[in-house]
Amino acid sequence: MLRSKRVVLVVLGLVILGVANATGADTIKIGFNTPLTGFAASDGKSCSEGAKLAVDQINAEGGVLGRQLELVIYDDQAKPAQAIPIANKLIGKDKVVMGISGSYSGATRSAAGVFQENKIPYISAYAIHPDITRAGDYVFRTSFLGEIQGKAGAKLIGELMGKRKVVMITLQNDFGQSLAAGFKSVAERYGLAILNEYQYAIKDRQFGAMVAKVKADAPDAIYASGYYFTAGPLVSQLRAAGVTASVIGQEGYDSQKFIEIAGDAAEGVIITTSLDRDSTVPETVDFMKAFEQQAGFKVDMVAASGHTAVKVAAAALAKAGGTDPKALRDAIAAVELKASTGEIRFNALGEVMKAVQIQVVKAGNWRHYAVIDDPELLAPPEN
Amino acid sequence: MGIYEISLATVVGINVILALGLNLITGFCGQISLGHAAFYGIGAYTTALAAQSGVPGLVSLAAAMFAAAAIGVVVGLASLRVRHDFLAITTMGVGFLFLGIVRQEDRWLGGELGISAIPAFGLSKPGYLLFVLLLALLTAMLSGYINRSWMGFAFEAVADDEDTARVVGVDVAAYKLAAFSLGTALAGLAGGLYAYFTRFIVPDDFGFITSISILSMVAVGGIGSTTGVILGAGLLTLMPEFFRFISDYKLLVYGVLLFAVMRFAPEGLAGVGRSWLARWRLGRRAP
Amino acid sequence: MLFLELFAQGLIYGCMYATIAVGLTLVYSLLRILHVAHAGLFALGGYLGLLLTNATGSLILALPLAAAAVGVVGMAIYRFCYEPILHRPPYVALIASIGLFIALEEIFRLIFGPYGLTYAQAPLQETFAMGGMTIRRVEIVIVVGSVLILGILSWLSRHTRLGVAWRATVDDPQMAASFGISVLKVRYLNFFIGSALAAVAGVFISLLSNLVEPTMGGVPSYKALAIIVLGGLGNVTGTLCASLLLGVTEAFGTIYIGNFMDRDAIAFAFMIVVLMVRPQGLFGGR
Repeated sequence: MLRSKRVVLVVLGLVILGVANATGADTIKIGFNTPLTGFAASDGKSCSEGAKLAVDQINAEGGVLGRQLELVIYDDQAKPAQAIPIANKLIGKDKVVMGISGSYSGATRSAAGVFQENKIPYISAYAIHPDITRAGDYVFRTSFLGEIQGKAGAKLIGELMGKRKVVMITLQNDFGQSLAAGFKSVAERYGLAILNEYQYAIKDRQFGAMVAKVKADAPDAIYASGYYFTAGPLVSQLRAAGVTASVIGQEGYDSQKFIEIAGDAAEGVIITTSLDRDSTVPETVDFMKAFEQQAGFKVDMVAASGHTAVKVAAAALAKAGGTDPKALRDAIAAVELKASTGEIRFNALGEVMKAVQIQVVKAGNWRHYAVIDDPELLAPPEN
Repeated sequence: MGIYEISLATVVGINVILALGLNLITGFCGQISLGHAAFYGIGAYTTALAAQSGVPGLVSLAAAMFAAAAIGVVVGLASLRVRHDFLAITTMGVGFLFLGIVRQEDRWLGGELGISAIPAFGLSKPGYLLFVLLLALLTAMLSGYINRSWMGFAFEAVADDEDTARVVGVDVAAYKLAAFSLGTALAGLAGGLYAYFTRFIVPDDFGFITSISILSMVAVGGIGSTTGVILGAGLLTLMPEFFRFISDYKLLVYGVLLFAVMRFAPEGLAGVGRSWLARWRLGRRAP
Repeated sequence: MLFLELFAQGLIYGCMYATIAVGLTLVYSLLRILHVAHAGLFALGGYLGLLLTNATGSLILALPLAAAAVGVVGMAIYRFCYEPILHRPPYVALIASIGLFIALEEIFRLIFGPYGLTYAQAPLQETFAMGGMTIRRVEIVIVVGSVLILGILSWLSRHTRLGVAWRATVDDPQMAASFGISVLKVRYLNFFIGSALAAVAGVFISLLSNLVEPTMGGVPSYKALAIIVLGGLGNVTGTLCASLLLGVTEAFGTIYIGNFMDRDAIAFAFMIVVLMVRPQGLFGGR
């Protein structure tokens, strides 16, 4: 009995402390929904670490508008049914001045609707669904659309690498589907012949049958969409079966973990992404160094995206000179910022316009290969 | 009520309808279904397509119920052929089949990208909440009515022992089909309400994990008990919100709770309630 | 040639499925429980095998250790989780098992992180040519290892006292008990062997993909259920055949109908068709 009373007291104390903490300091709150549990937890962790780093960096330099930034992070398990109440909570309860999505497409698109209805700006850090920014004029995206990256991939294979015969291995989700659509739309322009397309589910790790068929197809290049946890096993199984064709991936590969899983087989794999490991741009160099120090593991694209989104938010706050939502929205729309994932500018729809970085695995690390900066090819849709 | 509470309560209302529908099939009629989310999905997709082609809200919800029930009857027919655990896994298979087809169908259903920009239902947020709660209440009343009616009695006989039920003259096939069509129609209704609520749907919303979480609501609430299932749906929907402060352990707590309820109170919240009530009455009678 | 390669890959998938599903069907045959948490033990096996290999540098040492440890965990799960609810309706154990599985996955994530672990130096990755195919040593080990382990178990069940007792109990628990066989001992044995097999499968899979992750049990958690249903629930021979059949179906299916249906849908479509024709599964009695 006594013990349970003590527990109640402690809990009460903690609650009061929490409340005091939340209301006591005059911070500027930014909402952040991300999957910290469930199947997408690894991306949620990377993205929130990147975002936290950005907040710490900004606060160490005195914050924005003389106030400290505070990130209000909620776990949405990448589920739309959870993201909607979370978005409402961020807006209604926490009174955030803007929101950032560190989550996948489903959750982001659902939350975007809520932010738009309440006229609070919302920035998607790395979700790729084309309809996210179409939720309205308060929604922005700091990462590439899947289709744009797919187009860049086609140019990379056809023009930069000079390959012709391509086999596509497509991940069955929104990411894979939009990459494939983009890739196919310009394949002909770059002289690519698509021999075959195979699909796999995000849960697959064993690709033996597909690998055997790809081997029989004998392509020059393989355009394989996926994430590090599918691409790692895929690439090592391709190489083990003696397939020597170049493998071209995307930002989903962009993690040190990919190289760890695939081992020697990772050598020479080329991807389209938004983070240049050999960058000499101070923003990117500083970020990579600081991230490894703070998080304790090597940087990946998702972390850089979370970092960039917060930096964009801070720049917009400074520019707007206050937290009025309308002024903030206009400030984001007009942002021109050098961030860890490149120079950020938005078009009328709220899509980012920036160059695509091409990276290659060399001696167990991601290294610079090329940059595709073709404004016509990379132009995101305007509506 | 703030916008947060309104959105949360709407989700609770939808899940109550969903769970009561499964309770009709699994709780009343004893047919375990591990694929209820497929019917939820059929309802959501039907509503989304209907709404996009300009069909009024109430009509598209009715269409959702009808579409889900139509497929539900087909699965009900399967339940006449396979039984018990075989049926459970067959329904699970139906769920995966549904998902597999929707994922690949990118002309009408948007494939992996789902359907976005679903038109609004035409009510304000609080208005929509009231509408959902009203439907949830009607569902609960229907559920209570069925349980007391002859149909409920027949369901129970089928659930207890099919063969005996048949011997005493219960038309087992008809009642099984009735349970499946009613239960899946409710899932369709919930799916339609969900589509109007999120106004954006993707295949993953209706996967195996969703089926499991619906069954969990029924089991934690107390299989076969209308009040219990309502409580179970409310509890499991709100739980992630209660446990926001231990963000990282949220899903762990969920798993442990599922296990613990089944291990220590297998009749769910309803069972716990009943035993408390019994003890309280006993205490009053003999001071 | 391609046909042969696809068939070989199907065989490898099938052996993996068999090693996982046999444990599940053993549990079902004795206790009528759909033991979803089996997939959690599969993942636990993967983690232990990888951690022990990385620590000792020897897979030969790590594999039996991991299998034995997971076997003991399996026994504990029976004792503390299932035994008290055996007399309840079947859905109780099913949902308890699902809860347990979710909790196990989350424990892996909390302890080992969400990113998954890889081998310091993945063993058995050398390739060699055989009949025009390029094959990894691990693939041979999987096929030979599964066949050997399952073969030895089947021999033991026929030629040892314990094995005979076990088979008698599966056939008719009450009769076996009346002959003085300890039903409890048989159940423990059952969980030990089944869980150890799941662990072996977990280690094999981790060698194929050089990756263990918290969610690696996700696919086996439901696909193994489809397999044991296909095999006729509780029928070991049926389960083995169903595993191989499903493995080969998937290998060909992903190539030739993969653009219409994903791997799961292919597997379940196959299962539903079979069940509609034979409601008791391919090899079910009754």
